[in-house]
Amino acid sequence: MSPFFKGKKQAAPNQSQPVDPMPGSITSNLQDNLSLVKQKFGNSPDIIIRELKIGSSKAKAAVIYVQGLVDNQLLNDFLIESLMQYQSSSQNETKPEMLDNIYDLVIPMGGVKKQTEWSKLLESLLVGATLIFIDGTDKAFTVASTQGGEGRSISEPTTQNVIRGSKEAFTENISTNISMVRRIIRTPDLWVESMKIGTQTNTNVSIMYLNNIVDHDVVQEVKKRLKKIKIDSILESGYIEQLIEDQPASPFPQIYHTEKPDVIAGNLLEGRVAIFVNGTPFVLLVPVVFIQFFQTPDDYYFRFDIATFTRFLRIFIFFISLIGPAVYIAATTFHQEMIPTQLVLIIAAQRETVPFPAVIEALIMELAFEVLREAGLRLPKAIGSTVSIVGGLVIGQAAVQAGIVSPPMVIVVAITAIASFATPSFAVAISVRLLRFIFMGLAAAFGFYGIIIGLIMMTVHLCSLRSFGVPYMAPLGPFRPVENGDTLIRAPWWATKKRPSLFSSNNVKREAENQMPAPPQPRTIKSESTEKGNQNES
Amino acid sequence: MEKAKISPRQLFVLMVLFQLGSSIIIPVGLTAKQDAWLAILGGMAGGLLLFLLYYKVGSYYPGLVPTEYMPKIWGPVLGKIFAFLYVLYLFYLAARVLRDFGEMLVIFAYPETPLFIINLLWMVLVVYTVRKGIEALARTGEILFTVVAILAVTSFILLVFNGSIDTRNLQPVFEEKPITLLKAMGESVTFPFGEILVFTMIYPYLTQLKKAKRVGLYAVLISGLILSVTMAINLSVLGFSLLSRSQFPLLSTIQTIQLAEFLERLDVFFMIGVIIGGFFKITIFVYVAIMGAASLFKVKESSHLVFPLGLITLFLSIGIAGNFPEHIREGLDVVPLYLHLPFQVIFPLLLLVGAILRNKKKQKKQLATK
Amino acid sequence: MSRKRTFLFGILASLSVFTSGCWSERQLTDIAMVAAVAIDRNEEGQYEASYQFFNPGNIAGGLQGGGGGQSPPVAVYTATGDTIMEVHGNMSRKISREPYYSHTNLVVISEELAKKEGIAPVLEAFDRGSQFRVTTSVVIAHGVKAKDLVTTLAALDKVPSQKIMQTLESTEKALGENIDIDLEEVINALVSPGREPMISGFTVKGDPKAGTKQESLQATEMPSPIVADGNAVFKNGKLVGWIEGTDARSVLWVMDRLQSTTITTAWAGQKDALSYRVVRQKTNVSADMKNGKPHISVHIHMEGDIGEVTVPINLKDPKTLEKIEKDIGKQVKKEIETSIRHTKKRKADIFGFGEVFHRAEPKEWKKVEKKWEDEIFPHLAVDVSVETFIRRTGLRNNSYLSEMKNGKE
Repeated sequence: MSPFFKGKKQAAPNQSQPVDPMPGSITSNLQDNLSLVKQKFGNSPDIIIRELKIGSSKAKAAVIYVQGLVDNQLLNDFLIESLMQYQSSSQNETKPEMLDNIYDLVIPMGGVKKQTEWSKLLESLLVGATLIFIDGTDKAFTVASTQGGEGRSISEPTTQNVIRGSKEAFTENISTNISMVRRIIRTPDLWVESMKIGTQTNTNVSIMYLNNIVDHDVVQEVKKRLKKIKIDSILESGYIEQLIEDQPASPFPQIYHTEKPDVIAGNLLEGRVAIFVNGTPFVLLVPVVFIQFFQTPDDYYFRFDIATFTRFLRIFIFFISLIGPAVYIAATTFHQEMIPTQLVLIIAAQRETVPFPAVIEALIMELAFEVLREAGLRLPKAIGSTVSIVGGLVIGQAAVQAGIVSPPMVIVVAITAIASFATPSFAVAISVRLLRFIFMGLAAAFGFYGIIIGLIMMTVHLCSLRSFGVPYMAPLGPFRPVENGDTLIRAPWWATKKRPSLFSSNNVKREAENQMPAPPQPRTIKSESTEKGNQNES
Repeated sequence: MEKAKISPRQLFVLMVLFQLGSSIIIPVGLTAKQDAWLAILGGMAGGLLLFLLYYKVGSYYPGLVPTEYMPKIWGPVLGKIFAFLYVLYLFYLAARVLRDFGEMLVIFAYPETPLFIINLLWMVLVVYTVRKGIEALARTGEILFTVVAILAVTSFILLVFNGSIDTRNLQPVFEEKPITLLKAMGESVTFPFGEILVFTMIYPYLTQLKKAKRVGLYAVLISGLILSVTMAINLSVLGFSLLSRSQFPLLSTIQTIQLAEFLERLDVFFMIGVIIGGFFKITIFVYVAIMGAASLFKVKESSHLVFPLGLITLFLSIGIAGNFPEHIREGLDVVPLYLHLPFQVIFPLLLLVGAILRNKKKQKKQLATK
Repeated sequence: MSRKRTFLFGILASLSVFTSGCWSERQLTDIAMVAAVAIDRNEEGQYEASYQFFNPGNIAGGLQGGGGGQSPPVAVYTATGDTIMEVHGNMSRKISREPYYSHTNLVVISEELAKKEGIAPVLEAFDRGSQFRVTTSVVIAHGVKAKDLVTTLAALDKVPSQKIMQTLESTEKALGENIDIDLEEVINALVSPGREPMISGFTVKGDPKAGTKQESLQATEMPSPIVADGNAVFKNGKLVGWIEGTDARSVLWVMDRLQSTTITTAWAGQKDALSYRVVRQKTNVSADMKNGKPHISVHIHMEGDIGEVTVPINLKDPKTLEKIEKDIGKQVKKEIETSIRHTKKRKADIFGFGEVFHRAEPKEWKKVEKKWEDEIFPHLAVDVSVETFIRRTGLRNNSYLSEMKNGKE
């Protein structure tokens, strides 16, 4: 993070320095143009200006690009070389003619535009385009196809591992990311709109949706909210997320983020809108519902029965990681009558030597665990295992043997920790981390009464949320029985006839009728032939 | 009035949860002894009639709540006075229910904790919910309804497997004189069924006003059946004498479960169910009371009233009775006769008569103008 | 404005959490869990209650393993008082922690107390308190002080009260001569005019003092074991006598509580010739008015297997089995009738015939309710009919005994 902050700090005083007002469009004098560029960038050495003479008239020209943002080989082999080899068709071609000829005949690339405005020119220069100025003309070329330079190649996802399904993840490059989705959904209805946000960073932000499925009100709302953003920088999609969510005071995530193209594709097909931000592999999805944070891409690839089971399991996990320690505190300090006799005796025996009340003990353990987690997160992988050994084995074991904490407490905290890792969405897992402490407080003060009141309050809160107009707890509350095929249960694909109408208002038909597979009729012939086949094999 | 809409399904869920709320913990119809469950069914029939009465009155003024149409029927002064009394009645009931549930928790699990603190936590939740509005409440209702249903079915299955259900305890049927049974039925008409009166304040939010009648009738029917079955289960598990001595029969019933050395001490089931039921009962009472006050005093932002009126309800709940038996006595002897009867039966009847007369006048005028 | 209100709301919410000060909080280390309560009467007529407390450290064994071997798993403290609540108060003078009753599963009442004062006043506090469970079992100390039952250690079960509980449970299941009755059932029977409670008795064989030491557990045979011993019969809440053996079994039979038992019957003039094991049984008790008088019919339907024969019988022959079925039926009928006769003498309706009559004839019941126990029950006409079925005869058909005889002949 530190380079970012440094960059910001340096940028701040620069702003106060008087900068010449930007002239609207370029002049026909090359030298003026070049000096303006130099002055604008403060003679930064990575702005390369290559002056050359082209054509039979030896007209002065210049190629400008930013080192590192362009593909050098492409630039040298195709652009500069072909410019240099340009031969005018007639000796007395005028400058504007030459400009047209170069455009029509010379540059062997797509993405070439004639521009006159400085703002557009500089903008495209900064995203990796190459500018070509020719003396005596008041137009310049921007060659966008020279974009390139070093970037991370497509690799496996690091935060959303799947057992089955596509293994590729988004990169930091927005155009790569968009193309990855295009490769999955091959229809002209896949529309992309892009804009630039951030007065300093001019970050590329694109929204993507399926024009024939999406609810256009949502698209308008997304655009409205994005346009409202006036900020100096967008360094990650998290900036956008925090600037456009419906209820900023809520601990729950109201925007989904993913780094998997197949997840984006699946959600676009349900009528959601994806927001791509340059510089991050995390793509945002709106609108979302709460239950979506408990779904993983594999759910749709595995058979529906096991997928349904794991979804129930995840809800269970969610509650464990939310109220696990709280229930332990409540049961051991308020409701000993609810624990079976044998169990309460075991817990009581272990707690005899512990010098703290249960809630303090739980807080110590939870905090210790949070420290361990934070330490493990930031450390290089090689040392990470050391932390877990020192933290988990050495401290845990020693604390129990010294009688500072009781073994049941360690068990509870460990189960809670594992449960919070098992939550598929990191965004929900971290909000649960915070809420867990609130529930521990409620449990310490009121026992189960506090926990239940807290849970109801949380439900009310969740039910009051909306994500881009869609109720957050839908389709559970408001309950839509038809749409529960993909919530807690995952109905088999042949039964999922419709898209959720929450997001795709106009086009909900997903598949044809009678998709349920069945054995062929008549069966006898088939079975004979397979038997024969088996015999042959054996 | 908020700008909110709830679906018929949501209204149904809210009505059922509301009815079950306190009547699950406070047994009704016990005058009829082991026929209490029959008395509840009878009371339900009365509840259906009352609902039709409220619906009829409201149908003359669609989109309006009682505090708004009272002045229209009885004239501005008298109507406003009665509307004010009506709002006071709602506040009193809200405080009563809050007291019921606070006392329940103190007796059952928190004997050393002051009632005020217990009620304070209730009110924190209620105020929060009322501020979030009826939509959030209705959605919460849909989700928690499922939870309650799962709990109820699980408890029932466990009770059956445990062998606690002994239907012989329900015999002899019709032992008491028919008069006693009728009396018990009458008692259960006003509480809990008559309390659906409060939903007249919520109908205007319904998306499909036409369905209000069907939804209401179904809700009363279903909640009556559930109450009756619950009472029958309680009776057959505990027997009448133990049930009549129990403050919270359902708790005693659930405590009898001892299955497989592990499924025992399921008090937490009771606690979850009762707190959810109590939450809806208290919240709906407080909500309609605040809406009534807002429409009466023409307060545009009803959320401004939530905080102060919530606090008043809290203090009222502490002040209305000195101890629990007094509170229960008031609830069984005084309130039905002097509060429920006029507000749930007499006033609506008078309103209906007034509304019919006014409408006739209007029709005459219209005819005359034509 | 709105922010201010939210702030106020937050303050109030957190206040309600923090000011609660954990009033009802009980740390596990602050409470002493009571395993069993034994109530005696001392010379001054006060209650003398002995509480058997769990000693968790010695039950769970501790972390280091096997730490619990040296000291007993329970500790017994005794306090006196005029009421149970007073005892509870006085107990605090002797014990460092607050007694906690939610895990109490046994109440022992001494025979003397039950005879003189009755059990009703004792149980009131348990019924009222929120900690006590309605499923707590009740037993009567037969011939010993109630305290002796909670001070004597047991061999297989670590906690003596659990030993009593489990003995009660298993003997009701296997033998059917003791009744496992809980607090709720006792109180219901006390209250009901048509039923009297019957409560199991327990006693300590041998010197009660010998069983209180941990050393007694070192021996393979306990010097003073706790055994189930008869059932106490109550009338108006007071103990009026004991019934044992088949008499007690008949009561359970009529109450439809019997799960399985063994009936030994004669064959061909030889006593105790074969044992019949009841596997399943169902009892129907019905009541009506006959000749203007209450009349009860008891119908028993039982199924079971032949468990043992000590004389040669041809079990392959269905006719023989039919005869055995009839014999057993007759014997059970006789047993039950004897038991009813004995109970009538005590004028205590432990069978609950009154309740049955109440259900069947509510109007007639109103007339006889007051005088049921003393006037109607002792002369009550009871018909007993028994249906017996032998379903199986075990892994063998005829016994090897018959072949031995044949060989000799």
